Amino acid sequence: MLRRTVLPLLVCMCTIRLLAQDLENIQIHGFATQGFLFSSNNNYLSMKSSTGSLQWTEGAISVSDPVTDNLRVGIQLHMYQMGDFGGPNIQVDWASGDYKFSDRLGFRAGKIKTPLGLFNDSQDVDSLFLWILLPQAMYPVDNRGFDLAELGGEAYGSFALARRGGSVQYRGHVGGNALDSNGGYAEQLAEAGLVFRNPPGGKIFGGDLRWMTPWHGLMLGSSVLSQALDGTAPAGAVHLAPSATIAYYAQWQKGNLYLAGEYWRTPIDPLLTIGPATVPLPLDQRDWYAMASYRVSKKLDLGSYYSHYMNKAMDTTLPANYSKDVVVSGRYDFNPYFYGKVEGHFLRGTGLGYYASVNSDGLKPNSNMLAARIGFSF
Amino acid sequence: MKQTGKTCGCVLGLGLILVCTGARAQDVMVVANKGMSASQISSSELRDIFTGVRSRLGDGTRAVPVILKGGPAHEVFLNNYIGESPDEFRTRWRKAVFTGQGAMLKEFASEAALLDYVAATPNSLGYVSRVSREDGVKVLTVWKNSR
Repeated sequence: MLRRTVLPLLVCMCTIRLLAQDLENIQIHGFATQGFLFSSNNNYLSMKSSTGSLQWTEGAISVSDPVTDNLRVGIQLHMYQMGDFGGPNIQVDWASGDYKFSDRLGFRAGKIKTPLGLFNDSQDVDSLFLWILLPQAMYPVDNRGFDLAELGGEAYGSFALARRGGSVQYRGHVGGNALDSNGGYAEQLAEAGLVFRNPPGGKIFGGDLRWMTPWHGLMLGSSVLSQALDGTAPAGAVHLAPSATIAYYAQWQKGNLYLAGEYWRTPIDPLLTIGPATVPLPLDQRDWYAMASYRVSKKLDLGSYYSHYMNKAMDTTLPANYSKDVVVSGRYDFNPYFYGKVEGHFLRGTGLGYYASVNSDGLKPNSNMLAARIGFSF
Repeated sequence: MKQTGKTCGCVLGLGLILVCTGARAQDVMVVANKGMSASQISSSELRDIFTGVRSRLGDGTRAVPVILKGGPAHEVFLNNYIGESPDEFRTRWRKAVFTGQGAMLKEFASEAALLDYVAATPNSLGYVSRVSREDGVKVLTVWKNSR
């Protein structure tokens, strides 16, 4: 009788103890934000921003567990609603297993963030940035559902260079991804008459190399990304042969001053088939930006950037083929968890971020915009 | 003559104590679990370990960094050895967490709690403003190098 009672009790106690030890290492973090846009002319990012719009809410929660010294598993769930984009459905932002053989070599597999340029893999984490909108030439907020992550794997690592040469971090990845049915590219294709039952997808691969120079705070890097895309809709199809984006970037931080800049080039030739007609869409995107910010006090950050997008394959005098954005921004951290931001945009050209669904009367070439956002992160 | 020598010695000693105290007031001690074989660490190794760039010391020993939640010692450590403010440091780790590339470092509300953890946990590495023999941890000498 005693054995019958004590043995299960001991097993139970040991299990609880083991479980408690396991649960102790599990980390749960999250963030939530609410945005506001008010623009002088056109409606931006599928929101009715010309009358002021609060249709921009985001939230995420991540759970990770170091299973062993070398293995870590985790998942991040993300929800966003921005105008017509996103929706109440919760999406898997990333979910991966990460095995690190050594500092020089590790592998990550599952749904992983795609490295490209300085901010691609972190662009949806608002709390990391001073800016409400990152340079839209490279980091279009309406297409994050597609640009941000892929199903696949990556190798990564870092090593020090000899004789005060600094250190190098590398990432190489391969996988596949598909358009976000509720994202900007899907909306643009729908405007062209192509509504897909299964979102177009394709293979993706690339790499990122960044050099932490011996001059403290200066980092130089480059990324390359190859993307292919195919999909068939009842009214036609879209085809993109594997096409490369090449990015060069630099970042420098000295005390309270932060400077960064990037140059990207994306020459691609997507082909739309609409009924019997084949429509080529030549694109030669040349994007760059330069940004500077200064931490005025422990709680206040101020900064500005200029973002430039141009489609060199088309008539660059037409507003639809360029977008130039001068931005001034401020961020106030109320405490380590809660912050607020305000940002002014002076947009010239209509090449990015505008949709016919909310601009039925056509677009004016220029627009100014005020953005505000509050958020918390833990 | 002997008296003058003693006085000089006292003044020098007092000066040395003041200088040392002055230096300590602006610095912290890097502490490790006693099982760790290393007795010193380079400033670049220390920075790389606390920023997640590397997880092992030069001799191959695994190092698990732990931090204070806040306070003067936390600020001094980040400023002197990592070259970042507490906000920048937090942002760096938040980026790692929310992009699936890392997990937050274990945080402690007090130096006593950090010392208890380091004393009891193999491979752990932290920092405090002062340490005594009873704390049961090893103090690592940090030597400055640059890449």
